[in-house]
Order: sequence, then C-alpha cells, then structure tokens
Amino acid sequence: MAPPRGEVLQGTLDLIVLQTLEVMGPLHGYGIAQRVRQVSDDLLKLNQGTLYPALLRLEQRGWISSKWGASENNRKAKYYSLTRAGRKQLLRETESWERMTALMARLLGGTEGA
Amino acid sequence: MGWLRIFGARWRGLLSKRQLDQDLDAELRAHLEMLTEENIRRGMSPVEARYAARREFGGVEQTKELHRQQRSIALLDALVEDLRFALRGLGKRPAFALVAILTLALGIGSTTAVFSVVDRILFRSLPYPRDDRLVSFGDTAPFEANEFVLGPDYVDWKKAETPFESVTSFVPGGADCDLTEQNPVRLKCALVESTFLPTFGIEPFLGRNFTSEEDRPNATRVALISYGLWRSRFASDGHLPGRTISLDGRPTLVVGVLPAQFEMPNLGHDDILVPAALDGSTDRRPTARQTILRVFARLKPGISIQQAAAAMQPLFEQSLNYVPPQFRHEVSFRVRSLRDRQIQDARVASWVLLGAVLAVLLVACTNVANLLLARATGRMRELAVRTALGASRGRLVRQALTESLLLGVLGGLAGCWFAQLLLRLFVSIAPDGIPRLEQASIDVRVLLFALAVSICSGILFGLAAALRRPAPELLTGKENQPTARGLLRQVLVTVQIAVSLMLLAGAGLLLRSLWKLQTVALGMDTKSVITAAIDLAAYRYPDSAKQLAFFNQLEARLKHMPGVTSLALSDTLPPSGGMQATFLSSIEIPGHPKFSAGTGGMIGYRYVTPGYFPALGIPIQRGRGFAEEDRSPRERPVILSAALAKRLFPGGEEPVGKSFRFGSQNDWRTIVGVAGDVKNNGLAAPADPEFYVPWKNETEGYFRSAHVIVQSAIHPQGVAEWIRGETAAIDPTVPLTIEVMTTRVGKLTGRPRFTAVLLALFAGLDVLLAGIGIYGVVAFLVTQQTREIGIRIALGATPRSVLGMVFRNMARWTAAGAAFGILGAWLCSRFLESLLFEVRAHDPFLLGSALLVLLAVAFLAGWIPARRAMQVDPMMALRYE
Repeated sequence: MAPPRGEVLQGTLDLIVLQTLEVMGPLHGYGIAQRVRQVSDDLLKLNQGTLYPALLRLEQRGWISSKWGASENNRKAKYYSLTRAGRKQLLRETESWERMTALMARLLGGTEGA
Repeated sequence: MGWLRIFGARWRGLLSKRQLDQDLDAELRAHLEMLTEENIRRGMSPVEARYAARREFGGVEQTKELHRQQRSIALLDALVEDLRFALRGLGKRPAFALVAILTLALGIGSTTAVFSVVDRILFRSLPYPRDDRLVSFGDTAPFEANEFVLGPDYVDWKKAETPFESVTSFVPGGADCDLTEQNPVRLKCALVESTFLPTFGIEPFLGRNFTSEEDRPNATRVALISYGLWRSRFASDGHLPGRTISLDGRPTLVVGVLPAQFEMPNLGHDDILVPAALDGSTDRRPTARQTILRVFARLKPGISIQQAAAAMQPLFEQSLNYVPPQFRHEVSFRVRSLRDRQIQDARVASWVLLGAVLAVLLVACTNVANLLLARATGRMRELAVRTALGASRGRLVRQALTESLLLGVLGGLAGCWFAQLLLRLFVSIAPDGIPRLEQASIDVRVLLFALAVSICSGILFGLAAALRRPAPELLTGKENQPTARGLLRQVLVTVQIAVSLMLLAGAGLLLRSLWKLQTVALGMDTKSVITAAIDLAAYRYPDSAKQLAFFNQLEARLKHMPGVTSLALSDTLPPSGGMQATFLSSIEIPGHPKFSAGTGGMIGYRYVTPGYFPALGIPIQRGRGFAEEDRSPRERPVILSAALAKRLFPGGEEPVGKSFRFGSQNDWRTIVGVAGDVKNNGLAAPADPEFYVPWKNETEGYFRSAHVIVQSAIHPQGVAEWIRGETAAIDPTVPLTIEVMTTRVGKLTGRPRFTAVLLALFAGLDVLLAGIGIYGVVAFLVTQQTREIGIRIALGATPRSVLGMVFRNMARWTAAGAAFGILGAWLCSRFLESLLFEVRAHDPFLLGSALLVLLAVAFLAGWIPARRAMQVDPMMALRYE
C-alpha cells in the first residue's frame, strides 16, 4: 500500500527538526510543526504528535535544549533550541544525507540511462 | 558517553514521573490551542477548529504513551508494573503465596545451608595465593594415610631438578610446647622450614619470617606466633617481634606474627611456628634416626599434577634403593593437590549431601510449578482477555515469570533465614574432623549462591506455567478441559516420586550402615567405664624417673577410690588407633621363619597394667592375663591378641609359652596369654593384630601421656570428680580429659552418623514435599473431573469404582516414578559405596522398604482428595457449570 503522502522516515525527522531549529532559532513544538508544513508545501505532513517523542529523544541526546517561555500571544510554551552538539550533529547528518542523495541520484539516473 | 547521558535522563524520567507528565500535558495543550486558533483564523467555527486540530495532531494519548516510553527505561518501567501486579496477585491469595514461599524456603534453605558447608570443602579457594598450584607429595605406604618423605630423601630431592617452583616441609605431629612465663600455658608448636611461608605465599602480619641461618641445628631459638595467640596472650602488642619469650623454659626470640587468616596446610591448630632445624643428614643406616616429613610444594607454571608425579618418579625409584627389598612393593609415590590432602574422605560425603539437597530443591520447585500450573488454569480466562485486549505473548510470559521470580526471591529470603537455623543445627550435631565446618557461615558468597539458586528456581518452576498459551476460545465462556493439560503436572509428580525414592533409598543405606556400625562388636565392654587422658608437660617431667613417680603416685591414690571395680593404666586406648607399632616383619618367634614378604603391615602394641583386661572386659582366651608380679623388671611377659596369635601361629600351634621378640629390643619375652580381639583401627575396619606388654615399675618405656581406665558402678560424675581431685593433689598443673567410654566410642560413629542423619533429614523433607505434591495433583484432577464423576455416579457408579478410577490414574504415574526411582537409586547408590559399612550398595531389601514407604505416602496423599471424589453429589456436579 503506497502512502498517500510522504511518510517521514525514521531518522529524517531528527534531521528536519535540527535543520528547522538551525534556521529559525528557538521555537516551540507548534512552531516547528508549522514550519515543517510550510517548507514541505504540505507534501510532508506528519502527525504533529509524533514530533514530541522525537524532541524528547533529541533532548536526551543533548542535541537540543528546552526551556519554558511565553509565545507570541503570551501563552506558556516550551521553546527548543539547538545546542553546540546539535549543531555538530546537524553538520554530520547533512553530510551523510547529501552523500546518500547523491548516491541515490546516481543510481536512479543510471537506471534511467540503461 | 552518550548512552550514559541518555540513561541518566531516562532514570530521572523514571523518578520525577508526575512532574514530567504535567509538563507534557501543558506542552501538548498549548500546541493544540495554537492549532485551534490558527484554524479559527482560517475561518473555521471553534468546534470545527478543535476537531481539525485534533485530527492534525494525531492521538494525544498515544503521543503521551510514546513520550513516556521514550522518557523512561521501558523495561524497568514494565518491571515495576509487573512487580506491583505480581505482589497484588500474591496478596490476593495469601494461602497460595504462603505455601509456595514456605516450600521454596525449605528447598533453598537446605541447599544454601549445605552449600555453606561443602563450599569450603569442595570449591572455595584455600587461603593461599594461587592455591591451585600447591601440592603435597611423598611416599605412601599401607601403614600411613598421608604421604610422607624420609629426611635423607628430602635432602637429596631438594638438590635435584624437580617440577616444583619451591618445596618445603614440616615435621608431623608437631610438639606440645609450654609457654613458661607467668601463667604457664600448653601450646602447640609446629616445626617448619624457613621456606615454609614463602612457598605458601604467606607474609607475616608483623615482623619477619625466620631466616635460613636461624633454621639450622643449634641456632638461636626463634618463633613465629599465631595471630590468635598474639591477640589473646600478648594483647596485640605491636612491639612483640624482637622480644624474647620463654618457650619450654628456654629463651626464644619472637621474630614475627602470622596473619589472621593463616592456616596450617594440614588444618592443624598450631599456636607457634618454630624452625624445624633439619640437620640435612643423609644417613640411611638402619641405626640412624630418620626424620619423617610432610612435604608441600608449589608447581612450576604449566606443570600439571600428573606431569609432576611423572617427573618425580625417577627420583622416587632411586630412593627405593635404600628401602629393604621386601618392603619395596608396598611403597609408592603420590602427588596430590593441597585440597585433596586437606579434605581426605570428606569429598564423597560432601557431594552426596549436595546432591541430596539439590534433589530437595528440585522437588520443592516441582511442587511450586504444580501450584502455579493449577493457578494458571484458574487464570486462563483472565489471560485470554488480556490477549484479546492486545497483550503480546512475550508480555504475558514476562508477567508470569516476574511473578515466579518474585516468589523465588521471597522464598530465597525466607530460605536464608532457614539456612541460618539449619547451619546452626549442623554445627551443633557435627562430630570433630569435618574439615572447615567451624568456618562455615552464611556470608556474601553463600548469599550470592542463594540468590542465584532462587532466580534459577524461579525461572525453572515458572516456565511451565508461563509458556502456556492462553486459548482465545475460553472467551466464549465454555469451560473446555483438554486432558493433556494435566499431563505436565503428572510428569512433574513422576519426577518427584523418582527423586524422593532415590533419596529415601540412599538414606536407608546410610542409616542401615550406621546401625551396623553402632552395634558392631567392639570386643570389649564399655559399660560404666570412665577414662582420663593425662598429658604431662615436658618441662615439668623431663625424664622417665619423674614420669614414673607421677604415675605410681596416681595409681596408688586412685586404688583407694570407693566403688571402683577395676583400675588400669595404659599408654593408648582402643578403639581408635594411634598406638605404638612395629612391623610384623620385625617380630621373631624361635623356630618360625621371620615374615619376609614385605613389612607385613604395622602391628600395634600397648603398655598396660594388669587391671586393663578386667577393666575393659576383654576376655583372656588362653593362658593368663598380667599379674602384679609381671611389672617387676625381671619378668618379660607378653599377651597377644587373637588375630596376632592366628597370624604368628597359623597352624593352630599353641602360642602360650613360646618366646617372642620384636623391634630393636634384644630381650626375649614369653607369651603368657592370648586376649580377645578388640577394635583398634576404628569401627569399620576389622581388628588389627596387636599385643600387650606390661606397664612396668621401672623407668624403661615411659611416656608423658597415659590413660587412666576406671570401671565403677557409681555415677560417672562422682568418679570424674574423684580423679580430678586426686590428680590435682599430686600436681594441679596436669591437664586431664575425662570421658565416659561409651561417649568416646560414640564419637567414632560421629562422621557416618552426621552424614546419615542429614541425608535422612533431607529424604524426609523430600518425601513430605512429594506427598504434598501428589496431594495437590490428585486434588486438582478430582476438581477438574467433578462433572465427569458426577455423571458416572448418576449413571450408577459405586463410590468404590470412583475411587478406583482416581487411583488407577494416580497409579500410572506413581508406578512410572517408582520405576525411574528404582533405576536411579540402583545407578546412584554406587557413589555411596565408600560410605557404607557391611551393607551392599544394591540391597534389594532396603530398596524395597524405601519403595513401600514412598507408596504408602503416595497412597495417603491420594486418599484424601480421592475420598472427596467419592462424596461428589451428582446433582451438585451436574449443576456445576
């Protein structure tokens, strides 16, 4: 059964979250979810709930940190921000992701050529 | 270190659960609200907006659950949950929990108690570094249990190339020595070489070892004292090394204090080590006095005991050249591990007891397994519901195992307490000479063992119930009773019966052997005989004239004791060994060829006063006993034991009146009588040949130690007081050990009695547990078959036939268990052979009795529930569903 829309690969979610925090700075869960939706043009639509275990996982690894703050309309919200270790991890993951996509591109391109 | 941080975070997650849950709630709520607002801003109605937000967000509860799992150590979390559930389950059925825990406590407790004893004997390392490399080696000969080395051989071997890293020795027997300062005290001194401590890898606790210069004849006297003596006698004085003490009246320099955990390799309780000061003599002439040594060594790296023995063989064969040719075939060479040397014959008994308690544990475990199975049957529907609600198979197995592990650990805790009691019992009933029993205790190592046993048994008995697959059909509400269900339980009971029968048969063998041992004919009458062992201090009684004076005085005083039927003195006492001895080949009878095919073994002899034979009720079979006149220096009579008479005069020739000479004594004696055989080599062995010479009124052949033998009709306590008083009147410093002769003989059966009593105890426990097991299974089956029985009764079955039905069923697996048990007993009793006395390992009568006992127990255990089956009311049974 083909998924109707881009399912989030385990592991890529981490990368997406880290990248979002890198670009946007400290952000609460809702903000991250909105940002992901915007960027992906609704192509990649994740169940927003799944974001929270991922955030916890990243925090446990020390890649992001969290603290309570007030949102734009003065609501109490938890803000996540990238740590130095997270930044390094992002670099590493971006690299390996690029290697992977390059490989895939070459592979698929080759198939097309044959 | 990443995993550590994660683990830390998760650990915190486990601890501050509520706070984190609240945080998460707040966070998710905020998210949903923001989503809703966004939706409203897009133009949805508030209700619609909230639904849309929920949809977009996905399952809130699932998110929370996922979050929680991520947060905590999921397994641990589940474990805590399982434990809580299991505890609640046990609390709900206290009777079940109590029976299971008690059963396990019996099994684990016995196992732990026995382990704490045999661990020291069989497994635990000896208190020396790299103890597995230590060996004892030397010659073995028929007259000596332990290997020994003769002084000259030792000198030669030390110079030769050997497979040993280092070699050392001590002089056996040690010596009594007296600390002759104020409050003189009798101590035990061991004569050891200066290489002794280094070979065993022991460093003195204080001071130093003695040097090789100090370990020479005529060197300054030095000593190492034991930790215990240092504590008790010298008040833990740190400056003791370097001080001079008075030992046997001579100044001796204390050079060091031994560490607290030091023990002699022969497990002797020595207080002081003094240099052996071996003279290095290689004089092997028959006139030379050859030292006998106990030799110990540390193997070179990579050399096994067998290799060491092979490497020493040439040296040993060389040494044989000095042994008179007729003795050579009796001497052989042995290298064995220090542990083997120490535990001697305790190994078999240790394994037997360990095997017995493991059997008890097995039966206890099967009982609990049966209980759990019965309970699992009652819980089938609950499990089916849980399966239907989505619990995975693994989750259910884990839950069941948690429960059995909890039972195991609780049983183990109770078991440790029980083990403590049992151990105290062991120590109180144990005879002397069980190696290291006094050290046995429930320590960390034993507790770890108990824990391992608890966990293993928890898994063992829990697995059967845990692995059963709940049948979803049970949800339909129909009670389906596949007959196969009872099968596992019946197999378990079969195992119980088999194991119990084996134990029972083994215990029967040992008890019967003990009974034979206790009723063995001693050859003497020990009734109303009291003995007093007297040991004169060397420094107070240095020469035989002084010793003679003491004993003469003592004899004269004791003669006047009221109520004494007969009184005797002797240097040694039957039935234990330890008497003076000579080789059979050294005995000469005029007109008879000397025994020349070897040493002929040792022939013991005793110095006795004329009262000896009447006092101990030893019959004089021919000729006469000793008379007072025989004690005068002119008379040289000798009395042979019947066994020796038969040995020396095999043709039925009359021994009385013949001449007799032994050892290096040049004087001929006259055989005046033949006395009945008396057990003199322990109870199990046949009486060894021996002879008696009179205790003389002259200074020849005197000794510092002797036994007073008193036969008296009056109360032993009074006699003991009298002897004490009279001895003290002569010399209050003389130590006395007074014993009733029957107690003394009883001590000889101590070891076998200990083993037999323990094995019987465990067999009894085992049979009891098996009985409970059988009861449980039959009761279970009867309950299961209530309906069937009801129908049968309704259709006209008599109570008898119902009983028959239940018993037929039971008979099948009882018979199977009995068959396996007989087979097992037949195979295993071989291992008991070395512990048995005059009982064959395969005694059909005993095996049959054990079988009968077990069948009776099985019948009884089955009878109670079976009777209930007879009383089933058909109406009730049919309405049962």
